[in-house]
Amino acid sequence: MSSGAFRGRESFYYLAIGMIGGLLSGLLGIGGGTVMVPLMVLWLGTAQREAHALSLAAIIPISLVAVVVYGQAGKVDPLAALALTLGAIFGARIGAGLLAKASERPLKFAFGFFLLVAALLLVLEG
Amino acid sequence: MDFSPFLILLVAFGVMSGTLAGLLGVGGGIFMVPFLVLAVGLTQQEAQATSLLVVLPTAIVATWSLYKSGVVDLRKAFKIGLCGVLGSIAGSALALHLPGQALKICFAVLLTIVGLKLLRDAKRTPSQRSLKAEEPPTPADAIEP
Repeated sequence: MSSGAFRGRESFYYLAIGMIGGLLSGLLGIGGGTVMVPLMVLWLGTAQREAHALSLAAIIPISLVAVVVYGQAGKVDPLAALALTLGAIFGARIGAGLLAKASERPLKFAFGFFLLVAALLLVLEG
Repeated sequence: MDFSPFLILLVAFGVMSGTLAGLLGVGGGIFMVPFLVLAVGLTQQEAQATSLLVVLPTAIVATWSLYKSGVVDLRKAFKIGLCGVLGSIAGSALALHLPGQALKICFAVLLTIVGLKLLRDAKRTPSQRSLKAEEPPTPADAIEP
């Protein structure tokens, strides 16, 4: 549960993490979550589940602005976007349900493995 | 384009990517962009614009579901997100002036190191969550990359 008070120093670190996550995301064209989750876990010792949940919610304003600023309506494939969205909102409920129940160890394994895949994709995409 | 099987493939891929996104706390663009380029044949720009549009509802639905389970502190998350907005505007502006390819390789190396560290930490984490929850990170943990 993450309902603790948003205290001074902790607050500063979380805001800095948002800033760094956004900066790298804009700079490298990657999602903010890939940056924010490891920063929270390694820097602040945030539990893996809380970090994943905070990251997902923080992605909402970040991606909202990205859609408005960089969405470039002409470049979107509307049919693909619609079909993927239909699947993704169904999947998001499954994934969030799993996250709500998962314990620290498997989440750490899953995220660690995900980062290795992300690194590979980053190099391959070039 | 042969419509129906193709659409089914897209929806199925959306389910997979949305599930991973909800579980891992990411948007899912990292899965969708290569898929849209390699399997659907979109250009990199089209794929990124299209995936951005999918990430938003994915994050909203996952967050709503987590909020109902009492797992997420929304106020804290949105503060982080607003800082993220400022950072990403600065990052996009900086990207025009910096060597993107070299940065990506540096970042990929960093991600690999962090990924390996998390896997090692996971191995050391007791399988019962209750044990870990009370334990503050040790100074040694905080210093390592």
